[in-house]
This record gives sequence, structure tokens and C-alpha cells, in this order.
Amino acid sequence: MWKNIIIHPEKCTGCHLCELYCSFHHFKINNPSRSRIHVIRSEPYIDSPILCIQCGLCIDFCPVGAIIRNKKNGAINVLIDKCIGCAQCVFVCPYGAATIDPITKKALICDLCNGEPECVKNCPEKVLEYVDATKAVYYKNLIISKLLKKESIPLEPYPK
Amino acid sequence: MSEKIFGYAGQILRIDLSKKKILKEPLRKDFIKKYIGCTGYAAAILWYELKPKIDPLSPNNKIIFSTGPLTGTFCPCSGSYEICFKSPLTNAFGESRSGGIFGPKMKYAGFDHIIIEGKSDKPVYIWINNGEVEIKDAQHLYGKTVHETTEIILEEIKEPKASVACIGPAGEKLVRFAAVMNDRDRAAGRCGGGAVMGSKNLKAIAINGEKDIEIANPEKFYEFVTEAKNALLKKTALRRFGTINAITVLNAMGALPTKYGYTGFFERAEDVSSERLLSKYLIKRRACFACPIGCGRYSEVKHGIWATPPHEGPEFETTDMLGPWINISNLEAIIKANYLCNNYGLDTISTGNVIAFAIECYEKGWIKEDLVKGIKLEWNNPETMIELIKLIAKREGIGDLLAEGVMRAAEKIGYGAPELALHTKGLEMPAHDPRGETRILAIKYAVEYRGGCHVHSGFPGLYDRSPESLNDYGLKEFGLPWPPKGKFIEEGKGIAYRFFAIFGQIPEIMGMCQFASMGSEGNMITIKDYAKIYSSLTGIEMDEYELMKIGERVYNLKRCFNVREGFNRKDDKLPKRMYEPIATGPVKGECVKNLDLMLNEFYESMGWDIKTGIPTFEKLKELGLEDVAEELRKNSIF
Ligand code: SF4
Ligand code: SF4
Ligand code: SF4
Repeated sequence: MWKNIIIHPEKCTGCHLCELYCSFHHFKINNPSRSRIHVIRSEPYIDSPILCIQCGLCIDFCPVGAIIRNKKNGAINVLIDKCIGCAQCVFVCPYGAATIDPITKKALICDLCNGEPECVKNCPEKVLEYVDATKAVYYKNLIISKLLKKESIPLEPYPK
Repeated sequence: MSEKIFGYAGQILRIDLSKKKILKEPLRKDFIKKYIGCTGYAAAILWYELKPKIDPLSPNNKIIFSTGPLTGTFCPCSGSYEICFKSPLTNAFGESRSGGIFGPKMKYAGFDHIIIEGKSDKPVYIWINNGEVEIKDAQHLYGKTVHETTEIILEEIKEPKASVACIGPAGEKLVRFAAVMNDRDRAAGRCGGGAVMGSKNLKAIAINGEKDIEIANPEKFYEFVTEAKNALLKKTALRRFGTINAITVLNAMGALPTKYGYTGFFERAEDVSSERLLSKYLIKRRACFACPIGCGRYSEVKHGIWATPPHEGPEFETTDMLGPWINISNLEAIIKANYLCNNYGLDTISTGNVIAFAIECYEKGWIKEDLVKGIKLEWNNPETMIELIKLIAKREGIGDLLAEGVMRAAEKIGYGAPELALHTKGLEMPAHDPRGETRILAIKYAVEYRGGCHVHSGFPGLYDRSPESLNDYGLKEFGLPWPPKGKFIEEGKGIAYRFFAIFGQIPEIMGMCQFASMGSEGNMITIKDYAKIYSSLTGIEMDEYELMKIGERVYNLKRCFNVREGFNRKDDKLPKRMYEPIATGPVKGECVKNLDLMLNEFYESMGWDIKTGIPTFEKLKELGLEDVAEELRKNSIF
């Protein structure tokens, strides 16, 4: 079964390690601006990663067909040689998960690291989990329901 | 472009505020070889560029924002920068570290160091965006708090991801222990860098960058730093309880500095403990950039007279210095005091020290009523503490005197005040007491180039705390006396401290947090790890012995900076109270006995002259510092 990354934002300390591991994995450099996961710090209270849920809206929007779905793991893959950097995918992504790489000027979208997500492996707080799509439903729903209720996410002060 | 240097940004930004001149200089390869980076590199700049005996608050001083090669990489705990300058508190070499994300942003913007010189004729701030630099008017920011300044600047530059380092009202008013604050609540607190910034009419630096930091050997680097990250995850107590955990740990030992060092035992320690913080005020933990430990606290007081918005802290030092140190156990007031210090831009350690000092002076009748103007200078009075923080930040009333720091305030107060003041070289002593905690701190406080400091360089407390200590800092095989003889044995501590003095430079010059480098193999980053990580990042082959040599060189250079300013053995001393017994608690009666013995040991093991405490000509030559030795000779020091 295809898997999704889910987040437990209440545990996030805002350390940016997920961003650093993501950009390292793809480019072998240190540069959080080239990450496909984005850590947000918003005062007050909020530290949280924002990431691609692999919905695929961008696939249809890309004018040159540079975005495809990887049949093996369900991930969005950008064909870098085809991408013209027009930012249509950035425009349509409802989460702000798709961005344009400041160096290559081409699209950056999470590709689930070919089924072995580096961010999940290396988050020190276990904020991120890579779970079967059916299990992910519950967490997706939970976050949406909290947004609807305008309820702030209960924070977890100490790591378990 | 010159030949690529991996790991480093490769450029230095130099801004002369007098002439409004902006210069970009290449990073010097010979300096990297000799000093690695961060405070090592900055010490060399200050040595070569500062004239001796200048006034630290004059345009002649420089303040350098420095990163190391590891800053901004995914090496754990590498989110650091340091500021280096001649300190207005001590007239000696001043340095102070801070975390957050400011340091990494410097590297991503393309600069390893930012040198600020001269003085602007009106208030300004600097906006650095991916290598583009702009000096902007800051008249409208003057008088604004740290949080306000940060918010206004982020709004103005329209870059929410930028990081802001700024001073608060205390820095503007040249309070000698004013901090430089970044990312709101992160402080480069010690030594008065905020006053130096204020003296230059520089309110803030905002920075953002999106450039790569390249890696010479990515596979190896990934392997080494991931291993290091997993090792640091074993620091469960620090992760879980934060530094404030030390309140109960030290109190149980009888070594929690209380009532201006009168005792090491605080009966109401439970009230200011980590558990109490969690029970009502802690919202969550917050980490610096790339840090898997996350010792940072994020708290608020929701209601009542001590209410504060959510902000970072309080850490251990703050909690003790603005708590038990003033005999205060009201945690809400401490959180409020922390919030105010952060916003005024005050070093909480020096602030707590100077407040308790004033109370004791008043109690002894050395401060006259007309100066006090109705403030109740008494122990355990949170209102007084808050009032004094405000007066110090604004330099009003008695605050003007206290803003000078304990050493200068004591001179002015007279009577027994100079003997009472707890500082070395003018830097206020922090919340670790060499008498009750460990005697290695005695030699450390006495000789440290920046004065009474528990962190820079090295953090030897854990090594020495008990005979059963397991914390060898990975230095056993380099000759660190092992096992430690016991925390109250003074003999040998001078020799042991040599290793911390030297090793302590390594995390600093790499751009790392000291917390990553204490403990023992398996839960820390050892000197061997640093050698591997540095080599794989930069492609510059480095082993642990070479690294120790560089650490020693940097330590000696900083010492030489002070020597040129006139410092020598006579300044390596402790306040009188350190020789007086602790009044109560489990280690009642303990005190420092023979500092001279430890000094002799330390100087000798460092290869310094025992009589003067000055590095010998031969030692400096051996370390490749011939020209430094020559200059000292010119100044007729040898
Ligand atoms: S930026 Fe690239 S991937 Fe995104 S829509 Fe444009 S061409 Fe397609
Ligand atoms: S799964 Fe891989 S690509 Fe996606 S955010 Fe995590 S590290 Fe980046
Ligand atoms: S690595 Fe984990 S804790 Fe750190 S910022 Fe990312 S999600 Fe948050």
C-alpha cells in the first residue's frame, strides 16, 4: 500500500533538521531553502513542519507535463529536465508545499525520497511518521477538524 | 572567484559605519589553517586590527559577528554565531555566543564574518539579503524593545524568513552588560556586546540568505553528523528538563548560589524547579537551528501581575540569578524578569548579580538613602527586582550606577564594596559556585580571558563534580587526569583545566554549542569526532592532535590580547567571598583554599611564565605565533 507522511506538530521544536536532511538528500549540500518540507515558526506558539500530502493537484496544472506520479510509491516526481520553472505548481498547491528552488529555479516538490523519507528518519522529536494511507486518513482529518474548530493544537512540552 | 573553500561561505563583510562603506573581502586561507573560524578567526582580526588600550565604547572598537565552518550545516547543534569585541565590562577580549538561526542565515547570505567598525552619526540598521547589503535608517526604532524592533524590521523588509539581531533600550543606553538579542529571545548576553553595538548607533542587523554551503565529502559528512545527532539524543535529562534542571541538582549538592553567595542551599528550591515550570508555565520546548537537544523552554504567565506573553526561557542561569541569588522564589516574577531582560536587551546573569550586590551593599549601609529614592532594597522582594531591571535598562536613578556593572559600581560605592563584588576581571560571576560545586571552577573563573564565566572556554563542571564522574569529555587519552580526584580537591585541578581551556576552544571555533561537547564518548561530540566532521566537510585533512594544537593556539592568542592590554597574573584572582565558607547546607564550610597552587599548575602546564602568567616567547613561537610574540616584545612585555 502507498504510504503518507503524517505530522504530530505538537512535538515540533522548530529545529529545521528535517529541512536540512531533505535538501542534503537531493543536492548533497546544506541549504534549508532548497528543502521540500518547510518548518514554520509563527509567534506565538507555532513551530511546525508543512509538507506535501501528495494530492497531485499540481500534475494537471503543469503546462509541460513535468510532474508525474510515481507508480511504485505514489509520490509526486518532477522531471527536472522538462520543468521550465513557471511556478504553476506553486500557485495551485493549497499547502504552500511546492516551491521554486532558489538555485536551479526549478520546482521543488516532495518525492518521498523514493519511499524512504529522510525527514522522517532524522526528526529528533518523532514529529513525522510514514504510515499506510489508510492510517494517515485519521491524522489528516484530525488536523482539518482542528482548523475548523479554530482550536489551537495542544502542545506537548516534554518529549516522551 | 578564488578557489572554492568547502564548508565556509568564503567571504567577510566589513561595514564602516563612520564612512558608510561596505566592503566584501575574501576569507583568508592562512587564517583558516591557523584558527579554523568563528572566535578563533575573530580573535586574529581583533589582534591585528585593534590598537591596544582603546576605549571599548569608542568608534575605535570593532564588533565582529562570526560563524564557524560547521555553522549552518546539518551537524547537530551547529546553529551558533559569536560576537567578538573588546569588552566594555572588562577591557579584555570579549566574546559571547548565541543560537537561534542568525548564524546559519549569515552563512546562507554568503558571509562567514561581519565586521562592524566606526560609528554612525545617527541610528541605523543593516539589512543583508543574499549578499546585498543596505544601511537603513533606524531613528524610528530607538527606544523600542527587542520584540518590537524585530517585528517592525521584519515588516519593513518584507521577508518573514529573515533573522534579526538587535539591541534593546539597554544597549542604546550603553549599559555595560547589555546583550545582543537575536530571533527575539536568544541572547549573546555576556561581556556587553550590546553596549558596543549601541556605541556605534547600530540598532540591528537583519539577514536572510538562500545560498548553498557545499560539502567536500558528502557521504562521509552525512555518516559522521548523523552518528553525532544520535549520540546527542542520549542527553535525555537536558532534552526533557532543560538547563533549569540544574536548580534541583545543584541544590541537592548544596551548590545552588543563593543570596549573593551567602550559601549554596535554597530552602524553597522546589518553587523554582523544572517541575514547577512544567506544571503551570511551560508551553513547549524550542530548539536552536539544527539542534536535536532542544534545551530551550518556551513559557508564559497567563494571568496576574506577572503576566507575560509567550517567550523563550527561563533557562537555569536566569532562574538562579533572578531567583535564589536574590533570595526570590516567585517563579512567575522570575519569568517576568526574564521577559523584561530579553526585551530591554540585558544579560540576565550580570543583571541578577548587580541587583543582589546592591541589596547587600544597602544592607551593610554602604549605599545612601538619597540614591535609593524609596526603592525597598531588600532580599526576596520581586517588585524591587522588576523595578531595578527597568531602572538599569533606562539608566535612571540608582540604575545608572548599577548599569556600570559590579566592578565599577563597587568603586563608586566605596567602603567594602570592591571586596564584596562577585566578579573576575569585571565580568559578573554566574550561577555556579566554585566552593560548593567543583574546585575546577575556581581556576577557571580566575584565569578565563573573558572574566567570571562558566562556559567559555570548556564546561568542566561535569568532569569534576564527583569522584564517580563518568564524564571524561573524550580527553582521557590526551592526558586529562583520570579519574577525577574529587570535587573539593584542589591539587591537580590547574593541570586538569588545561585540557578544558584548549578543548573548549574547539566547539567555539567550529561554530557549535558547548552543550554538544560535554559528557563522554557516545553522548557528545569528541575531539576525534570534530576532526572527522571538519575534514569531511571542508576537505582539509585534520586530525585530533592538530585540532588540539589549534585550540591551544587560539586560547593563547586570546590570552595575548589581554596581555597586550596590561593583564597578567595579578588579574587572575577570585573575589574575597570565594575564600569564605559557605554558610549553610550540605557542604557548609567549604571554600576555596589555595588558588595559587592551581594557578601555578595551570601556567606551568600551559608553558607560561609562572611569575607573570604570560605565555612565554618560546611557547608562542612553538604555536606559530611568532609575530604575536614579537609585538608583545615591542610593547616591552617580555
Ligand atoms: S514549475 Fe515546473 S513542475 Fe511546476 S508547473 Fe511549472 S514546469 Fe511544471
Ligand atoms: S520525504 Fe524526502 S523529499 Fe519529502 S520532505 Fe521528506 S526528506 Fe524531503
Ligand atoms: S526535524 Fe522534527 S522537530 Fe525539527 S523542525 Fe522538523 S519536524 Fe520539527
